[in-house]
Amino acid sequence: MSTATATPTTSTADVARSRSPKFLSGWSLAALIFIGPAILVLTVFMVYPAIRTIILSFENGLGNYVQLLTADPRFIRFSFPPSGSLWNNILWLLFYTGGCIVIGLIVAVMATRVRYERIVKAIVFLPMAIASTALAVIWRFVYSPDADTGLLNAILGIFSVSPVSWLGNAGFVNTALIIAGIWGSAGFAVVILSAALKGISSEILEAARMDGASEGQIFRRIIVPMLSLPISVIAVTLTINVVKLFDLVYVMTEGGPGNSSNVIAVQMYQQFSARNFDYSATVAVVMLIILIPVMIFNIRRFRSERVVA
Amino acid sequence: MTFGESVAVERPPRTMGERITRMVSKAPIHVALAIVGLIWLLPTIGLLITSFRPTSEILSTGWWEIFAGRLTFTLDNYTEVLGSQGMLNSFINSVIITVPSTILPVGFAALAAYGFAWVDFPFRDTIFLIVVGLLLVPLQMTLIPLVEVFAQMGIFGTFLGLWIAHTAFALPFGIFLLRNFFITLPRDLIEAARIDGASSWNIFRTVVLPLSVPALASFAIFQFLWTWNDLLMALVFAPRPGGLPMTTQVQGLLGTFATEWHLLAAASFLIMTVPLIVFFSLQRYFVQGLLAGSVK
Amino acid sequence: MSKYRLVAPFMIVMLVLAACTAGDGGEGSAAPGDGGESAEGDGEISVTSLWGGAEGEAFQAVLDAFEEATGIHAEYETVRDDYAGVLSTRAAGGTPPDVAIMPGIGFMNSFASDGLLISLEDLGIARADIEDRFSPGILDIGTVDDVLYAPMVKLNSKSTVWYHPSSFEELGLSVPESYDDLVALGDGYDGAAWACGCADTWNLTDWFESIYIRQHGVEMYDQLFGGELPFTDQSVKDSVTEMTRILNEDQLVGGVNGALGTAFVDAIGQTFAADNDAWLFYEGGFVGGIATGQVNEELEIGTDIDFFDFPAVGGGGTPITIGGDVIAAFTNDSDVAEFMAYMISPEAGTVWAEQGTIISPIIGVDSGAYPNELASKEAEQVANAEAVRFDGSDLLPAGSPDLGATLQTALNNPEGLDAALEELQVGVEQAFADAEG
Repeated sequence: MSTATATPTTSTADVARSRSPKFLSGWSLAALIFIGPAILVLTVFMVYPAIRTIILSFENGLGNYVQLLTADPRFIRFSFPPSGSLWNNILWLLFYTGGCIVIGLIVAVMATRVRYERIVKAIVFLPMAIASTALAVIWRFVYSPDADTGLLNAILGIFSVSPVSWLGNAGFVNTALIIAGIWGSAGFAVVILSAALKGISSEILEAARMDGASEGQIFRRIIVPMLSLPISVIAVTLTINVVKLFDLVYVMTEGGPGNSSNVIAVQMYQQFSARNFDYSATVAVVMLIILIPVMIFNIRRFRSERVVA
Repeated sequence: MTFGESVAVERPPRTMGERITRMVSKAPIHVALAIVGLIWLLPTIGLLITSFRPTSEILSTGWWEIFAGRLTFTLDNYTEVLGSQGMLNSFINSVIITVPSTILPVGFAALAAYGFAWVDFPFRDTIFLIVVGLLLVPLQMTLIPLVEVFAQMGIFGTFLGLWIAHTAFALPFGIFLLRNFFITLPRDLIEAARIDGASSWNIFRTVVLPLSVPALASFAIFQFLWTWNDLLMALVFAPRPGGLPMTTQVQGLLGTFATEWHLLAAASFLIMTVPLIVFFSLQRYFVQGLLAGSVK
Repeated sequence: MSKYRLVAPFMIVMLVLAACTAGDGGEGSAAPGDGGESAEGDGEISVTSLWGGAEGEAFQAVLDAFEEATGIHAEYETVRDDYAGVLSTRAAGGTPPDVAIMPGIGFMNSFASDGLLISLEDLGIARADIEDRFSPGILDIGTVDDVLYAPMVKLNSKSTVWYHPSSFEELGLSVPESYDDLVALGDGYDGAAWACGCADTWNLTDWFESIYIRQHGVEMYDQLFGGELPFTDQSVKDSVTEMTRILNEDQLVGGVNGALGTAFVDAIGQTFAADNDAWLFYEGGFVGGIATGQVNEELEIGTDIDFFDFPAVGGGGTPITIGGDVIAAFTNDSDVAEFMAYMISPEAGTVWAEQGTIISPIIGVDSGAYPNELASKEAEQVANAEAVRFDGSDLLPAGSPDLGATLQTALNNPEGLDAALEELQVGVEQAFADAEG
């Protein structure tokens, strides 16, 4: 999907100088009508509340921030290994994003070699349509600690291994959730990478094959570097997903057992429910701060490059 | 962009020998893809089958026994979930919440996007930048004060409040997406219309909109699914008790009936029906929309 | 770049606007009445609680009786998910229910301190008038800063251990007099005999509290749950050790993993369904009602199901813990005032008691009102207790980390217990500090 570069802006400005009446210094009625409603809604219901949240977070001066970053083991605990919701988000960032890209790449490459490619991609992409809530139910069912209902424990049962409480075990719960997350989002990576793969000129591939390069070498030396742009698109999108991650974790475990699978967005909601409004605002602002560099990177990239055909 | 036709990355096989060699050497791929297919289908199918099974059986035998042909089926779960558990009501609520939350943002965003693309006014680029910057604001950043604002306006806990909240959050993305699309429209067309004396409004209505149907459709579908599948906004802003959409209802079911899989399975599938229908029938737009959503 | 020159001034304007506007973070914005005269009601009030199933039906019966007596309709709303959060949000949004059953004392405290609750005084009910309807100390539970907001309207003993009397007879077992005897009980059965709804963390807190209060006494119990004694104290670890003498791989049906994956109602099912795997289950008095009413209607009281008192630990006494619900008002009008007055009357208490799922704290409710021996036995246990204390984890302030979750660690990761207790203590301290501020 192509996005425009900055150049057309100047030309549309020329065209836009129409003969409609203008008010103070260039504001035409047309301009107000077009952007007015949206700007109004955004200002009242987004900008204003966001700023109020920032102010609310400072209700105890910097106290909330200090407490959150240094003295709140539910947020981050600097032990070995670390724990806390921030740490869990980092785990998600590494394994969910990495997992989606790696699996997405492998599936996309394999799919191009078979005639039923469309079907494979459709199957893997299907979970993207499902509500996170429903996804959470599906996977809670798979992870059910009862070997008569839970698919995983039933499989274990075939090998005479006794059932495991996947979601009840603090050591494993994050892995379990991330697997469910990858299941839900790998399709996104598959579709983008698949389209990008088709954009790789087959002549280069032919030439490499004729030179005797193995499939593995072709994959590593040619395909992967040429996919670096789509991969970065996927990585950024998934990163944003990770910071905002709420539905899946909240519905599957509510951050439990204890705090072991908690993530920032869920912690914010928990503080909100416990009526610690200013502290909850602090968590929200921290979410925003984490997102800022990601979004700047993302917007810069969109403004200056073509992504995928 | 769809899932695409398979591009021949290799020469098609010419002899029977080649065919067989090709098949054998690709066997690992077929096996691997079969496994992938299973992994991505089984969980969903498992829940689907379970939704048609009687409660007593669900806890004693696994749904996989269907391959041994030993299961009985029933529609009771669905009737119970729709009736006494109120999913029919929730379904209607989901519709009530989602439709305006799709139409309003598309409308407002299209208007604003056109303004940013083809109408000149002071500080245009600056304001656009601010709007795009709002893309990074998560719901959490506005939750508490938004509750207050709605309370002061007297619309907290009403559908109107929820529509407004969804619209507000959809706008940055919609404006960004549509404006970037509008700019790519041929300027000659627009210039010609202006020379003919058309006002901005007319140009918008008769020239730009008809040409933008794919982009509008993509955004609309994306927004529709986003709202339909939303949980957090509904948790906070939906009218209680009767206005909860399906996502919140299911999440609540998990609270009281954590292992009542017969109910959970049926309820979950009800949530999934509409998005799956959209998925299967509007694949092209659907994919575009979701991919466009990579910015949101 | 010239494009950015407007951003700064814009943000400054918004900042000033946001700072100047009234509103204080969702705390008092919804206070519809802060004392004074009751407004005139309109014949209808809204009531919320988190009860469903048998408990919900019982409550509905009380509301129906109220409507018959006064003509005022009480619209009952169950909130299934995140009761505390929903209540909090609605209060912040200006649409709280008229009356709400409170999910915990700590929580009720935070509402009261934010000025969102109407005191009984302001509803026209003087504390002195109703003091004698309750056992001493009960009304204190719903009091904040010497003002009574939330009277207790129902309770259950949390000192009841449930068993199959017939199996005791068959195996020659007797009701244990001490905790050591309780531990030994499991040996009498073939294989594991205990069920636990350990997936629901409050099952574990109840276990812990029953042991702690007996092992260390009422005073230390008060200190622990009042924020004066840290959870990292050795006394806590001792009680956890005692707890794991029963909650372990050998004694629990399904082992530790199985128990941790079992929810409360399912554990009752494990123990009292027709094909039960377990024979012993510890939880509150409400188990009887759920077992006989929901899980297995064939149960014969006295043969298939009964309870004995949680025994003394290490030669100490047997104070009991209770769990209960309090009720508080958000709106001040004459209908609400009548409702609150009704809820603390012996009439309401009797109607509710007759449903068989709760014990009424109101003294005026005759023990004959209870429909079965289990309930009247429970009522007697509470009435005759040497000391009564409220469920500790419900006493902790809102926002405290989950004690039960920490206890789950004791089961599935004993090495991590010390660290978990430390983490818990930090959170509890914070919560107490927040409650002050």
